[in-house]
Order: sequence, then C-alpha cells, then structure tokens
Amino acid sequence: MTRYHLELVFAAVVFLVGAIGVYGATALDFGWGADGPQAGFFPFRVGLILMAASALVMAQAVASRGSLRRIPVTDHEGMKRVLGFGLPIIAMVALAQWTGLYVAMALYLFFTICFRGKRPWHVALGVALGVSIATFLIFEIWFQVPLLKGPLEIMLGLG
Amino acid sequence: MLSNIDSLMHGFGVALSGYHIMLMMGGVLLGILVGVLPGLGAPNGVTLLLPLTFGMDPVSAIILLTSLYWGALFGGSTTSILFNIPGEPSSVATTFDGYPMARQGRATEALTCAFLSAGFGALVGVIVITLLSTAVANFALRFGPPEYFAVYLLAFASFIAFGGGTPLKTIISLCLGFGLGMVGIDTVSGNMRLTFDFDQLVRGISFLVVVIGLFGLGELLLTIEEGPEFKGASGRIDPREMFRTMGRMPRYWLAMLRGSAVGVWMGITPGGPTAASFMSYGIARRVSRNRANFGKGEPEGVIAPETADHSAGTAAMLPMLSLGIPGSATAAVMLGGLMIWGLNPGPMLFIEQHDFVWGMIASMYLGNVVGVVLVLATVPLFAAMLSISFSIIGPIIVTVCMVGAYTVASSPFDLWIALVFGAVGYAMKKLDYPLAPLILAMVIGDKAEDAFRQSMLSSNGSLSIFWSNWLVGAITTLAILFLLWPLTMLLRRPAQTTDPDAATHAP
Repeated sequence: MTRYHLELVFAAVVFLVGAIGVYGATALDFGWGADGPQAGFFPFRVGLILMAASALVMAQAVASRGSLRRIPVTDHEGMKRVLGFGLPIIAMVALAQWTGLYVAMALYLFFTICFRGKRPWHVALGVALGVSIATFLIFEIWFQVPLLKGPLEIMLGLG
Repeated sequence: MLSNIDSLMHGFGVALSGYHIMLMMGGVLLGILVGVLPGLGAPNGVTLLLPLTFGMDPVSAIILLTSLYWGALFGGSTTSILFNIPGEPSSVATTFDGYPMARQGRATEALTCAFLSAGFGALVGVIVITLLSTAVANFALRFGPPEYFAVYLLAFASFIAFGGGTPLKTIISLCLGFGLGMVGIDTVSGNMRLTFDFDQLVRGISFLVVVIGLFGLGELLLTIEEGPEFKGASGRIDPREMFRTMGRMPRYWLAMLRGSAVGVWMGITPGGPTAASFMSYGIARRVSRNRANFGKGEPEGVIAPETADHSAGTAAMLPMLSLGIPGSATAAVMLGGLMIWGLNPGPMLFIEQHDFVWGMIASMYLGNVVGVVLVLATVPLFAAMLSISFSIIGPIIVTVCMVGAYTVASSPFDLWIALVFGAVGYAMKKLDYPLAPLILAMVIGDKAEDAFRQSMLSSNGSLSIFWSNWLVGAITTLAILFLLWPLTMLLRRPAQTTDPDAATHAP
C-alpha cells in the first residue's frame, strides 16, 4: 500500500461521511428561517464542506501521484504487525458485548501475550488474571465505577 | 494586577493541603507513567482519569488532572531523550538533540536541561496566567453571543492558518469534529440530529471516547507497526553532573526566554504545544550562536523545544479558564471535564468559582515544582520500565484504553466507537491530518453553533450583528483574514501543498 492509495481511500471515506451528513440533514429543516439557521443548516453545510474538501484532497493526490506512489505507507512486515495487533482487539470488543469486560480482557491478554508475544503460558496467565483483578479492585471497589459485566460475574454473585 | 497576587495567595491557601499535595504527587507520577508509555499521552491520560474524578470536588479533581498533565509532559521528554521515542507528539523536537546527547553519554545533562527548562517554561506560563487571567475575564464579561461566536471563529481560523499541516486537511479535521459533535439532540430546537434512528446515537458521540481511539489506540498501532525495539541509552542520573548542569542553566537564559515567549503565544492562540516546540526549535536553530552544533547534541536544542512545549501547555489554560476556549487537545478534554463537574468555563468562573480558579492556578506553581523534583528522582525507575517487553505492555495499554472508553458513559457501544477511531487515528496520522482540531471542534463546535444561532435570534437573522461594534467587528474580520490566509498561500505556490515533507506532525 502506498501513500497515494491511502490518501484516496481516506478521502473517499471522508466524502462518504460528508454525504451521510448531508443526507441526515435533509431529514431536518436545513434552511435559514426568520430566526436564523434551522437545526439542519450547519449539518448540511458541514457535510458539503467535507465532500468538497475530500474531493480536493483526492484531486491533489492524483495530481502528485508520481511522488506519492513512491512513499510506502507501511511495508509487508509492518502491515502484518498492525493487523496482528488490531484484529485481537476487535475480537475482544465483540466478546465483551456479552461476556462483559473482565472476561474479555482476561482472555485477550492471555491469548495475545501467549501466542503473539510468544511468552510462557504461566506469564500470560499471571498478567491476564493480575490485570483483571487489579482493574476490578480499582474500579468496582475503590472508585465504585461499575464496569460491563456478563454471565460469569452474575454466576459468581459479583454482578 | 495587585489584586491577582492577593487572589493567588488565597489560592495557595486552597491548594496547600496534605490531601492536595498527595493528589499532585500521585497525578505527576501517573502522568510520567502515561507519558513514558507509548500510546498513552497527555490527552488520553487525562481522558482515562476523568470518569474517576466525577465524585471528587472540582478543586481536587482539577489538581489531579493538571498534575497528570505536567507529569505526562515530563515523561514524554524522558523517552525522547533516552530512547529516541517521543512519548508525546509535543516532544518530537526534543529527540533532535536530546537523543544524540544521551548516546554520547550525556544523558544526565540532557535530562536535567530538559526538566529544568520545562519547569522554567511552565513557570513563565503560570505567571502570564496569574497576571492576565482576570483582565481577560473582565474583558470577556462584556461579551454577548456575537462576540463569543467571533472568538470561536477566530480559534478555528487560526488552526487553519497557523496549525502547521496543510489547510485542506485541517479543514477536514475540523469539519469531522463539527459533524461528530452535532450528533444527538440539538440544544436550540430540541430536534434529533444525524442519529439515523439509532438509539445509541441519541445521547451523542462522546469526545472522550473519540480521544481514547484517536490518541490511544491509533498511537499504539503506529508504535507496533514500527516494531518497537527500545534500544535505550542508560537512564542513570549522576547527581554531581546534575548539579553541574543546574549551575550552567543560567547561561541559556536567552534560549529559555525565547522558547517561553514562543510557547506562551502558541498556547494562548490555539497552536498548541506541538507546533510551539517545533517552531521554537526552528527559531533556535536559525539564530543561536551554537547553531552549527544543532542536531549533534546541543543543549540549546533541548532547551528550546522543552521551554516552548511546557509554556504552551500551561498558557493553554488561560483561554480555557477565562474564555472557555481550549488552546490544546488536553485543555479541550479538561474543558469537557469542567462542564461535567457542573462548572461553566468562561469569565463567570472568575466571579462564581473564585476558590476553584485560584486554587487551580496556585496548584500549577506547586505542581510544576513537585513535577521537576519527582521526575528527576524517578527517571531511572521509569526508564527501567521500558525494558519490559512491548508484547506485554502493549496489550495491557489496550485494556486500559477499553476500560477508559467504557467508564465514560457505561455504554458497551462506546467500545466500538473507540475501535473505529483507533483505525481513523492511525490513518490520519499516516496522512498528516492534524488530530487536535477534530477534538477542539467536537468540544466547542456546539457552543459556537449555539452562539451563532442566539446572535441570529437577536438580530432577526442578519449577519451584520457580527460587525455591530468595533470589538466584535475586529475579531470577525481578523478571523476571516485568517481563513483567507491559506488561500493566498495556495495561489502563490500550488505545488507546495501536496509535498508530504512540508507537513509537520501536529497532533
């Protein structure tokens, strides 16, 4: 992936976000009433600006594609590291939606440290349990901020 | 001005208690930790701690958060010097000369220079706040909605004109922030905006969660991509060398004053610490007598960005307190905190919350002294921490970010939002989109829109209200000139704007 492609992809995403904003604003009154701008006025225009600015970024990228193509965003190794780090986080967040945060983060810590970090399993287990229990003590007991809980905590009578 | 000194003494009375000193030390230590660890910086350190302060009284809470901020700034410089890894975007410029010094075995000298000049910069920033804050606040008391809108516009415009980075990308960053801030209930009409019938979007998108994604997860992804190998210089501090360096510091008075001046200016106008440190380094490299040595381990090359970084970080509190306009991403988060604690940032704060304001200002003096002492004492400890493998530290930081994202509003959906903005932050950093404008726009975009619409209500929809007196007219005109500034640059040299080397790495 070169910088040229990432520029185009990101600008396209921004363009889409702008378009969604414009679409969302049309559901409201986006005009200028007797008392000034209505609820949709600014969302509509901010969406338009986003679309215009991202189109300009794309045009600029195309205009200087020669030099941008020569700048790699990341090499193969780097990309692998980013995905190897990012995908487990997605898995943790998905898991947390029904097991709660404590279980999800303990599993996440255990598996990433054990398999991606290639550490002995007892180190991984120690960190996973240690961090989860420390988080529980700090948040639930000390600051009394309840975190997301799932079936396990309810079973243990902590939910 | 003299009454400010009285108020400051009163503030010391508020801030000087055993409990507050404890909070300061705790905050500074946590801050150094946050600053040293890659992926955790000042903005998201403050964000992560914020939900835990909701139960505290505002004075204690702000002391804890500002202390954490000082600590994070110090911690960021430590890794810049010892490991060539800027723990904070604003300490990138410190690596240019700090790391070469450390490699030459002059780590003690570099660290001492950095911390003392940072302390000096912060001190200048606090003195400016002490002397000017009430004057600015009294001036702002006369502001109505049109004046406020004009000042907000000026803040946004100065980002576009002087933020570093290409104006077009700053505009996109700002507008993304505006758009995200608009999601939820419209405060003027009561309509739902941009929620697309999703229940989760009714209460809006929290900027705190966005900060955790952009600055936390995004930064971690960048760190992991480079394959972090901490090949550090020794972090051992030699006390005798430390005192010798302290003795030499007065020799650099000119560099320190210049750095502080740049920092104070960039902090009050929303340029922020990152732009300030780069600018200060750039100026020093051009005008210093030792300029030939820059980049090869010149103490002035450490002093210049460090003083500017800290004085900008401190001075950013002035517009935040007296106008309700944050001068940096971290100040924006703190501003959000003030609103959550039920305080109304702006000139009325100085009248209604006398204890809070002056307690906070006094704590900034104390916090920085505590910070310099603590950081000098604990540097070897924190440097040793970086020898723990990133394959363990990295995942732990991820869980800390996730827990932080959840505590903002106890919503599982926020975890997804943080994740999305982690990816967005990674891409934006890669493409040199500045991140600070996005946060600023999210936090004060709403207030800017309210001010605009209230102005329109009172003028029956006529824009002429923004030129109805000399004050608002001058600010509005200046803002529009700032907005047009990049346009003239664009016309003069169209090829320059796509040159990726031209963009500085502003947060």
